[in-house]
Amino acid sequence: MTSFIQVVINGIMLGSMYGIAAAGLSLIFGTMRVIYLAQGTTIVFFAFVTYWLFVKAGIDPYLCLLIVVPLAFLVGLFLFYTFFRKAAALEDKNVSLLIAVGLMYLIENAMLKVWSANPRGLDIPYADATIAGWGLRVAWVRVALLGLAVLSAFVVYLFLKRTRLGTAVRAAAEDMEATTLQGINSTWVCAISFAVGIGLAGVAGVGMATVYSFDYQFGFTFAIKALIALSLGGIGNVFGALAGGLILGVIENLTAYYISISWIEAASYGVFILVLIFLPQGLFGRREIVKKV
Amino acid sequence: MKLIPDFSRVGRRKLIWAIVAAVVVVFFATLPFYYDVSEGEFGIFFFTVFIYGIVAQGWNLVAGYTGQISLGQNAFFGLGAFTTALLWFWDITHTGYWFDPVLMVLSMVAPAIVAILVGLPLLSRLRGDYFSFGTLGIGMIISVIFLNGGRITGGSEGKLLIKVMPEGVEFNLQTHYWVSFAVAVFATAVVYFLTTSRVGLALKAIREDEVSAASHGINVLKYKIMSFAVAAALAGIAGSVYCYYLLHPMPMNVFNMNFLFLPLVMVVLGGTGTIVGPWIGALIVYLIAWYGDKFFSGWHPVILGVVMILVMLLMPSGLAGLGEKLPHWGAGGSVGRRSK
Repeated sequence: MTSFIQVVINGIMLGSMYGIAAAGLSLIFGTMRVIYLAQGTTIVFFAFVTYWLFVKAGIDPYLCLLIVVPLAFLVGLFLFYTFFRKAAALEDKNVSLLIAVGLMYLIENAMLKVWSANPRGLDIPYADATIAGWGLRVAWVRVALLGLAVLSAFVVYLFLKRTRLGTAVRAAAEDMEATTLQGINSTWVCAISFAVGIGLAGVAGVGMATVYSFDYQFGFTFAIKALIALSLGGIGNVFGALAGGLILGVIENLTAYYISISWIEAASYGVFILVLIFLPQGLFGRREIVKKV
Repeated sequence: MKLIPDFSRVGRRKLIWAIVAAVVVVFFATLPFYYDVSEGEFGIFFFTVFIYGIVAQGWNLVAGYTGQISLGQNAFFGLGAFTTALLWFWDITHTGYWFDPVLMVLSMVAPAIVAILVGLPLLSRLRGDYFSFGTLGIGMIISVIFLNGGRITGGSEGKLLIKVMPEGVEFNLQTHYWVSFAVAVFATAVVYFLTTSRVGLALKAIREDEVSAASHGINVLKYKIMSFAVAAALAGIAGSVYCYYLLHPMPMNVFNMNFLFLPLVMVVLGGTGTIVGPWIGALIVYLIAWYGDKFFSGWHPVILGVVMILVMLLMPSGLAGLGEKLPHWGAGGSVGRRSK
């Protein structure tokens, strides 16, 4: 029983990464219907940024958040205005999907050439500190990661519910045309939600750097995992996406522990397909959103 | 919607295109007589272009003509390659020829059957993005099954086919060139005749408006599954031919994402829903990859990424779509393009 609880806890810690990534995807997909497949690669990129800030400048990874997240926000604005502004307005969503794929190729292979294929990991002095009790052990950095995920989901939630801009974003997710008719600048709303989505990728990048060792090609799988988490949690719900990520993490860890580590992918993709077929609105989503897609 | 083909337009334009197609086919079919394809670098170049182009032509059918963005083509490619490899390795069919036609046909049938089995639940329940995600997931599951196949599939090591080469066979790229070219012509012909027939009309109707197509008496699910299965079969036979070149198929290389994304870029660059588009795209994309690798070793995926983004930003309807805007020549090239 203890081992079961330990596996579930580890799964939740792993899943918090998926959760943050999925929340970002959810924002982008919710407002623009763009599947930003390069999300995972973007996260790896910010993990690299954190890594270099730590190695070259000696900045603590958690302090890096203050640098990486605003940077990610700006990168998001840049990406939106250069690549996605026109494409997002098109009816044909293949265009934006393919731009995202192109970006993924570009970033991934540029990272490979510039920073080599070696897996990197941060050598944080307090990485070994753990909380132990009742026969369970959890590393502090992982708890911090979960905290980071919950905190960022909460911040995004407050932004969506409490600010004028957030309300505009929600309105755009509901009906883009009607939003434009209300005099809301839809391009700006899309830009903001895209930038916040990439900002969340920045948070996830820092989280990835603190807990895992990563390499350049980790991104694609990660983007798919975020997509699975998103479909599990349901689109248009930040906490849903986070919960979807946690559930996916638990499923993966249970599969690894009770079946075999080589069947993890099959389990998560199997869940993905079953959810898509039988529960397209996800566990916490609303039915109407699916009908619109 | 016109149901009877308009014969009055079958005139000079179609004739010109038939002649162009014939010249191109004759040129490539006779290329080995005046160019040493087994030694010269363009032999392997065209072989690879044909392989990618066949997969691209299949994806063109399902995505360009039917409007269903399948993201599982690499799985069908790998499935075809592994069907050939496993039947060959375990000598199940007892044929044992070099470029065994039996194995190649079976490598088409196996992915098609899988596509039908998978397509039934996916295509009946999922639309748009959700269908794309579903095929992506199915593709991943198929590759994981082959990775975990143990002794039967050889796991991540795959099967080393050099050990079981048929007797008296010499590895000569000329054979590869001709076989891949023949399959390329076959694939193009299949897509051409499918899309210019009543089936093609049904597919295009589904692409334009599914509900309207259904209300005009088109069995939407049947035609969707059909195009999905044909695309899978074409990817499968490409995988089979590629397997004879590789001689050591591993899940890592035959299920590679390149066999999903490169054909996709080729079709989109050349022009979705056109018959020549995938070939133009295949040639250009692979030229970029080929010379990019030659002059900027290791940077060619980056260059491809840039090209992909630029194409999508500047001409999202592809090169064949560009031709349509020009007043005269090229306008007839897009067979099966939606007519105004």
